[in-house]
Amino acid sequence: MTWNRLRTHWPLALAGAATLVLVALAAQPLWAQGFQYQYQPGQYGRPFPLVGSRVAIWVTAQVHLMFAAFVLGVPMFAVIAEAIAIWGKDEKYDRLAREFTRLLLVAYSATALWGGLLLFLLTTLYPALWGYMAEIFGYSMWFYASLFFLETATLYLYYYGWDKWKEGRAKIGHWGLGLLLNFWGTLVMFIANSWLTYMMSPPGDVTPDTAPAQVQFWSAFANATWMPINIHRLIANAVFGGAVVAAYAGYRFLKAKTPEERAHYDWMAYVGNFIAISIFLVLPFAGYWLGREIYEYNQQMGVTMMGGFMSWLWIVQAFLIGVLFLAGNYYLWLGLGRIPGGERFAPYTKYMLAVLVVGVMVWATPHSMIADRAELAAMGGTHHPFLGVLGVMSAKNTAVNLMILTTFLSFLMYRRANKIPRVWWADRGTLAQGIILGVCAVVVLFYGVYGYFVPALVRIGFSVYQVLAVLASIIAVVTLDLIIMRGAESRGEIRWGEMPDRAQYALFVLVVTFTWLMGLMGFARSGIRQHWHIWEVMRDTSADAATPALGYAAIVISACVLIFLAMISFVFWIGGMIVKPQPAAALTSPSTPSAADGTGGGHGLG
Amino acid sequence: MGSVELKVGGVGLGTILLFTLVANVIPQVQSEVPLEVSFGADATPEELAEAGSQLFHGAGGCTACHAESAGARAPNLATDYLGAGPIGARCGDRVPGMSCKEYLYSALVRPQDNMVEGYPPIMPPVDRTMSPAQIWAMVAYLESLGGQVTVTAADIPQDAGGATGADAAGGGAMAGGAMALPDEPSEIVRTLCTQCHMIGGEGVELGPTLEGIGAIRSPEEIRQAILDPPSVVRDGYQDFVGLMPLTFGQQLSAAQLEAVVRYLAGLR
Repeated sequence: MTWNRLRTHWPLALAGAATLVLVALAAQPLWAQGFQYQYQPGQYGRPFPLVGSRVAIWVTAQVHLMFAAFVLGVPMFAVIAEAIAIWGKDEKYDRLAREFTRLLLVAYSATALWGGLLLFLLTTLYPALWGYMAEIFGYSMWFYASLFFLETATLYLYYYGWDKWKEGRAKIGHWGLGLLLNFWGTLVMFIANSWLTYMMSPPGDVTPDTAPAQVQFWSAFANATWMPINIHRLIANAVFGGAVVAAYAGYRFLKAKTPEERAHYDWMAYVGNFIAISIFLVLPFAGYWLGREIYEYNQQMGVTMMGGFMSWLWIVQAFLIGVLFLAGNYYLWLGLGRIPGGERFAPYTKYMLAVLVVGVMVWATPHSMIADRAELAAMGGTHHPFLGVLGVMSAKNTAVNLMILTTFLSFLMYRRANKIPRVWWADRGTLAQGIILGVCAVVVLFYGVYGYFVPALVRIGFSVYQVLAVLASIIAVVTLDLIIMRGAESRGEIRWGEMPDRAQYALFVLVVTFTWLMGLMGFARSGIRQHWHIWEVMRDTSADAATPALGYAAIVISACVLIFLAMISFVFWIGGMIVKPQPAAALTSPSTPSAADGTGGGHGLG
Repeated sequence: MGSVELKVGGVGLGTILLFTLVANVIPQVQSEVPLEVSFGADATPEELAEAGSQLFHGAGGCTACHAESAGARAPNLATDYLGAGPIGARCGDRVPGMSCKEYLYSALVRPQDNMVEGYPPIMPPVDRTMSPAQIWAMVAYLESLGGQVTVTAADIPQDAGGATGADAAGGGAMAGGAMALPDEPSEIVRTLCTQCHMIGGEGVELGPTLEGIGAIRSPEEIRQAILDPPSVVRDGYQDFVGLMPLTFGQQLSAAQLEAVVRYLAGLR
């Protein structure tokens, strides 16, 4: 870094230095806490130096999970892209899939390294817990390790066989290898999920007095939160993979030297972002299912999560998701500028922005305020006289469903931007789409308001109706759009590469936010066990038994995010050294498949 | 490193910094480990109730549902409920043939047996997470809310202090009626006083802050405030008289009390 550059970019340097100082200062209590350990032979190993055993395990597990999400998410991305290349006959998707599989090779090693470190830390720092878990899950642990041989072999065959199996049936077989890679990866994740969900929700008949050998394997494996976590992580991994791909492409876009390169990486960023945001819209529903299962399993755990010491966590989560919605939509709206005809939708974006901002504000409104005496007196209780009304689930569910609907509208605008429908009933069809979306919004609002007038148990059921209304309207509108736009005329080709630089920075905000959110949700999932290693079965008797407050957790999460982003940047750098990327030559080809075709590509040009 | 890398790094670090700051400016609530307790044969009802109060308002997690606000998930226990008074006043009338003590114990370990009409069956049996001593301390506290504490040390089974599930957790422990406390007065203050007072940036803003207490109270006044809280009330806190436990005189040894007084008087 030269002095001149530092002078030019001093605000950024200052922000970076401030962050490092903050993290260093904030980390001081972590160090201090690390020294408070009492050595407890048998139950706990010797404390990890400086930061303590809990933080050591926490950071290692979290960074391992971030890499794992990447190496599980990217193959999904690659196999979809390769399928588009095969059946859509668009070779640039094939290059895209290959480019990311190459990065997998290095990222896979990093995942395994962090996983190995986690294993050694668990066995040395928490030997009693590890022994207990191994006694129940020992066989599945061996199977889990064995699967890596299959997964690794499949990954090597998939990547190194790309040129060999590139035509005809061989290509289909190669794509099958991609599917197999996803299958192994999913199996690995499902097995590991059973261990961690057992710690959260062991079967009800397991008590502290139950010897681990007496615990039935399958009831422990397929415990109450296992499948909801599996589905939630599966979706989240695909979202995360898309977001990392988009950020990588955004960086390459900014560094591109030629218009072709810019066009290639602009397109790649769009595809990554499309996958991330469109799949992300489903994630709250999976999260809702997980939350419901937690309540079903143990009301106290559910209450601790949503209304106890963790209640403010969801306010921070709302803030993060607000950032995701705003950044994701901002990127789409900027993208309209490179599509002929996109300008006609520009006037609507300010209204959509208003819906999103109001939605975020409602979602981030706390219900029960933690306040001092004077504030409580001024409010007349723990609930704010006006804002308290917005803090309940009725209002929050309404807000998030309307935000999802608004983001879907952004995609729809993007998809239709440069098309001129040619079916005779196009206007009526568009009107019908508007009516469907309008009715959906009314249904969502109706149940949101009606929820205030019914008991809590009835109100909880309303969120299902709201979700179903949104999903049904999205499916109906997309189906109609596919039919309306069949044979549509193009207003002009997408000008790939003509994207402002600030759009790429929105992608970096997205990937950092997704990563941070992953860390926050990891803390939530683990933290609701409170002072239990295994909920109501094995108590945490170490000096770290108390579950820390959010501020402390945020510092650890930020450290994890910094470590992961630094290492994944290194992975990309190494990946770039293996083979120079080959920018697509014909990115302005009008064959870009449409988003609503289910391909994840740019919008169709007819 | 080029300007693009600097900008990308700045955006990334700035975003992380923002989230870290947001998570640090909201109220900080730590989930505490339930205080393990054990009682000697001479434990007083006040000591039992005080231990129960700490569990109820702290790591027991009871207030998440048994809140005083309207629309709480579970019945309000601390103040009046449907004209029947707080739980200590109404518990004896809840189930015919059951004394207050029996009803409360049953409600804690077999909550589904006698549900309060209009509330969902969400109360977990607490004997999976609390030791018998903790449960009886909780019963004593609930009885004290508008009623007479009838729980005695004799109700608690011998060797019942051990935590369920595993070895006893950390934290203070009552033995023979006196609380096992740290040696350092600053640690005693941290253990006891920050439950309701702010000091050194820690604690809860329920009672008046103890920051600079030595500048506005003499050592005699501080001692009196600990031993007889209602006699020394700071302006603006008249409505909170009665919240501070009256039992510190029994829980602290004379040496501990004097050390705490000297420590607080030195805070200027």
